[in-house]
Amino acid sequence: MKKIRPAPMASIAIALFLLISSLYYLLVEAEEITVVPFWIGGLLASLLLISASAVTLNREADDRTRVSWTAERLLPLAADLAYFLAVPLLVSSGRVAPDLKFVFLGLSAVFTYDLVLPLLVLVGSILVIKDSINLLYGYTARGREVLVFSMVRLSAVFTLLLLGGIISVILYKGIGAMSWEFLTSPHLRLGQQGGIRTCIEGTFWLVMGAMLISAPLGVGAAIYLNEYSKNSGLKRVVTIAVGCLNGVPSVVYGLFGLAFLVSTVGISLLAGSIILGLMNLPTIILTSQEALKSVPNSLREGSVALGASRWQTVRKVVIPSALPGVLTGMIIGVARAAGETAPIMWTAVTFSATPIHLYYGFIPDVTQPVNNLCYHLLNLIYFLGAWDVEQNAWGTALVLLALVLSINMVAILVRNHYRKKVSW
Amino acid sequence: MIVMDPPDKRGLLRSRRYGEGFVEALLFFAAITSILAMVLIFYFLTYESFLAFREVGVLEMLLGQKWHPPGDIYGMMPIIVGSVLITTLALFINILVGIPLAIYLSELAGPWSREFLKPAIELLAGVPSIVYGFLGVLVLVVYLERSFNMLTGRSILAGAILLGIMFIPALTTICEDALRAVPKEFKEGSLALGATRWQTIRGVTLPAASSGIIAAVILNVGRIIGETMAALLVVGNVARLPSPVFDAFDRGAIFTSVIAGEMGEVAHGSLHYHSLFAVGFVLLVIVTILNISADQIRVAIRKKFGGY
Repeated sequence: MKKIRPAPMASIAIALFLLISSLYYLLVEAEEITVVPFWIGGLLASLLLISASAVTLNREADDRTRVSWTAERLLPLAADLAYFLAVPLLVSSGRVAPDLKFVFLGLSAVFTYDLVLPLLVLVGSILVIKDSINLLYGYTARGREVLVFSMVRLSAVFTLLLLGGIISVILYKGIGAMSWEFLTSPHLRLGQQGGIRTCIEGTFWLVMGAMLISAPLGVGAAIYLNEYSKNSGLKRVVTIAVGCLNGVPSVVYGLFGLAFLVSTVGISLLAGSIILGLMNLPTIILTSQEALKSVPNSLREGSVALGASRWQTVRKVVIPSALPGVLTGMIIGVARAAGETAPIMWTAVTFSATPIHLYYGFIPDVTQPVNNLCYHLLNLIYFLGAWDVEQNAWGTALVLLALVLSINMVAILVRNHYRKKVSW
Repeated sequence: MIVMDPPDKRGLLRSRRYGEGFVEALLFFAAITSILAMVLIFYFLTYESFLAFREVGVLEMLLGQKWHPPGDIYGMMPIIVGSVLITTLALFINILVGIPLAIYLSELAGPWSREFLKPAIELLAGVPSIVYGFLGVLVLVVYLERSFNMLTGRSILAGAILLGIMFIPALTTICEDALRAVPKEFKEGSLALGATRWQTIRGVTLPAASSGIIAAVILNVGRIIGETMAALLVVGNVARLPSPVFDAFDRGAIFTSVIAGEMGEVAHGSLHYHSLFAVGFVLLVIVTILNISADQIRVAIRKKFGGY
């Protein structure tokens, strides 16, 4: 039977209040802190509760052995208790007072009262939680497990709040700029007025061009490596090259395009497509290879046994079976090409690009520069201080984010759908 | 890989064989494109930066204490120090949040929360870096400026926080895959011996997945060093040695931000232009070494400990 220990439970409740309120003052509210007495009271109360339950704790959590207060248990506890006492003392003695301005080690930051006090309380609250859990579950492996798992859960919650916050901030601020005109009219007066039509078109053509280059090359390379190549040396070299290409920073692709393409084809849609296509190549090769590898050999053997040639087997049997995986890779490639700025900023885009000329209404003039969403947003960010572009910048960010996330969502759905459906 | 050459002696299938050969040649060309691309990238970066290295001197360029384009002084030390500071801090944030999150997803989360969380995190890995940069400028920089009473919130710290958060999904996804690849029998064996779940994770699962986790961390170092747009917008872009050297609250510059920030306004062919290519060349070499070593480390650790 497990005894209920009210004291550590109460101190956990206090600690949660301290944690949430100090995080609130740390992250959101930088005005005057109004809960200082509660913080001091909370720390002192948990000091009392924890020392009381430590004194009355005479058996381990499994209720069989006596607690042995070794130095390695007692010293951290004593240090924590000293901390709970020190913070209220610092505040009441006026050392941590509202006029605090603390500079140390020559860092170019000033640590003020509004920052230092919530930080001290935050650390205190985490220590309270640690000690309370130890006292609740005893100093056993079980206690350590509860402690670690609650920290892990806390970090999961933190990440989710953070990442959810990023999306909701953009949604909340950007929705105000949304209108049909915003999406369908070109930008005017340095982006202060008008919309983002040319950017959407430019993004579309760049992505199309990039996929036209990277999809055949990438899938072809994957097929060669997986179905044809008997030469393991070549395979090793290609694998290393793909790995390196995958890691090449996007700005280096930009430099490469500047040196390699701009002198020959100029700042143009063509140059941008080639660079983005090369950048996408490793993604598509790797995902296609994964997909081809997952096709079982028995299918290939069956086809060969019927007298099909190698290419017939690949075309009629292997590719159809691997299609969902290959498609997923391509869709991810589309999203990546739509969201990259650095590779194209000197090779394909200009802020003032006019809508692209279409031959016969559907073949774009590839020698023209274009504007795309990322580059437009970058320019709006540069204009932020000088011109009134903030609303349009939020709108552009929202469109870009929605575009990229929905493409990625399609990729994930396709993959999950087929992963469930296909079982060999 | 099945070897299959149909006995083709009757001449009937000759045209088909030519077709087969043609397809194979096309596929071979596709396969060597990535080698070609890598060679071309290295060639052009070396070619364009050669002039700067010759003019300034390799050692002066790499170890020079000052980066001052108007005076034609190009020393990369401030950039290297900035990059080291940013990468260390960002990686700290990245690991501190990313690995616990991976442990949560692979070991603790129930089926429902994994169904929901895993795609959500994969989705977030795709958020464009310029969007992070935009939020960095309007939210993070403003926040830091206010709470640390800094002259400007654009700082190495801002860059580190932004990059650290940005690459959490990338780290978590790979680490989670590595953790999930550990065979169930290992964990069950440990649990059957009476170990708690945490003891099992620490003593069995994490060591068994260590090759994947270490490789993921090294890959993330490469991503952080190579990230451009977000860093460009928040680090302040002042290539000057911080004093003291570890002052993360000062403005700074990293490889990518220097290139992206200055390339737009240099004269084509000037020493400044070539020096920026030299910065790019150093960055490319660092990232390539990181990528190859991540691969090697994964292989080596797997050989030694039999990891997954």
